[in-house]
Amino acid sequence: MDKALYLAMSGGVQTMNAQTIHANNLANVNTTGFRSDFEQARSMQVYGDYYPSRAYAMTENPATRYTQGDMIQTGRNLDIAIAGDGFIAVYDESGQEAYTRAGDLQINAAGQLVTGRGLPVAGVGGPIFLPPIDNINITEDGSISIVPQGGANNEVAVLNQIKLVNPDKQNLRKQEDGLIHTRDGQPLEVDPNVKLASGFIEGSNVNAVEEMTHIMNLARRFEMNVKMMDTIRNNADSSARILQRSS
Amino acid sequence: MNSALWVSKTGLSAMDKQLNVVANNLANVSTTAFKKDRAVFEDLMYKAVRAPGGLSAQNAELPSGLQLGTGVKVGATQKDFSNGDYNMTDRQLDVAIQGKGFLQVLQPDGTIAYTRDGSLQLNSQGQIATSGGLVVEPGIQIDPDVNEIMIAEDGIVSVRKNGEADAQQVGAINLAGFINPTGLNSAGQNLFTETNASGPPQVGVPGTDSLGTIAQGMLEASNVNSIEELVNMITTQRAYEMNSKVIASADGMMSFAIQQL
Repeated sequence: MDKALYLAMSGGVQTMNAQTIHANNLANVNTTGFRSDFEQARSMQVYGDYYPSRAYAMTENPATRYTQGDMIQTGRNLDIAIAGDGFIAVYDESGQEAYTRAGDLQINAAGQLVTGRGLPVAGVGGPIFLPPIDNINITEDGSISIVPQGGANNEVAVLNQIKLVNPDKQNLRKQEDGLIHTRDGQPLEVDPNVKLASGFIEGSNVNAVEEMTHIMNLARRFEMNVKMMDTIRNNADSSARILQRSS
Repeated sequence: MNSALWVSKTGLSAMDKQLNVVANNLANVSTTAFKKDRAVFEDLMYKAVRAPGGLSAQNAELPSGLQLGTGVKVGATQKDFSNGDYNMTDRQLDVAIQGKGFLQVLQPDGTIAYTRDGSLQLNSQGQIATSGGLVVEPGIQIDPDVNEIMIAEDGIVSVRKNGEADAQQVGAINLAGFINPTGLNSAGQNLFTETNASGPPQVGVPGTDSLGTIAQGMLEASNVNSIEELVNMITTQRAYEMNSKVIASADGMMSFAIQQL
């Protein structure tokens, strides 16, 4: 039995994994602030004291694409999008600082500023709590100015500032929660040069045509692997026939 | 089975929900004081197949791992409480709220619901009620011999009777505001009910505490922007089609494998 069968099989399985990465990108083609994932395959040599003919394929996602998505105008005061590079700092489920581009903000019943997913937005020195308000505006640098409830329109108070960061992309990684985290786990410093646009949200940066192309390509690659498995089986059959005792 | 199938399935069902939201917005493009919804998409958890930094062999570290996303979901629908256009109707019992407040109405089960639909009527007992027949809270009684009803900006309702020169005050409309109107539960029939997320209502006189003033003889139109919804419909449909293509492709892979092997 030729072990090449296992090589072809692992190729097929890894292709399916790659297919899943692209399927996930495409499923999120309308997700606010979504950043698409790259996929690549690496050859993994099996090491040992024998003839090195075993190199398995291994799919991985080496990075996330941080290019900007479409800016969609909504006109809602609490929708923010970052123009250019940078991230909005939020707190993940465990209270750690994480980063996102999804700026569909809302105010919850406790008066806290949270993202559409309900994650608290980071401000100066912690989460942002707002008093009852008449009106809210978020300026280009993330400052939140409000008109308190019952206040006149000229009684504008600047309350807090959304933490905006612009780290080195090498230090960033998307984690299982779909948020961007730093690789070293250290919270980042505020970058005053990040620009917000209020009244916009940023769409997903998935390039649908590219993903479709990858998916077609991978489907064919999978079929080649299957074809290999078929060929290997035929070879095994032929060898078996040759070796049969002719009666 | 091929996990791309399940991932794309989440894509299809999310787009389907989004289309539902868009269809509902468009259906209510002429509903008085309707507030449009927006579907909030979020990506689902990622499955870490191999964590980055794992060891591929002795002294060989993997620079990047493999995380497989599991798709997308519509995490919530957000109501957009921005004001719609105001239309003049000149009808005495039409009121529009110019601000953030809600009218309070009494439901049959005795609880209070909230609405911005100010196309008010009189019921058979002469009480001011919504077009759905729910009495506005606090109740205001209008006698049958009333000629003219006047509703002031601050909600004071006064009437002029036949053969009388002076108006008499018969009651006042109060408004309720919420810290997080997005958290209100949409009960249908233009009604909203309080939830934990909306916070308790803050009831007050119109014109105070940003509740807004009352404009008689006007109605608030729906805040649905039909062009925007049509564009959403197109993008949703295309995203749906692309996700179904992925399902077809993943299915083709499986069927090829089944036939060949």
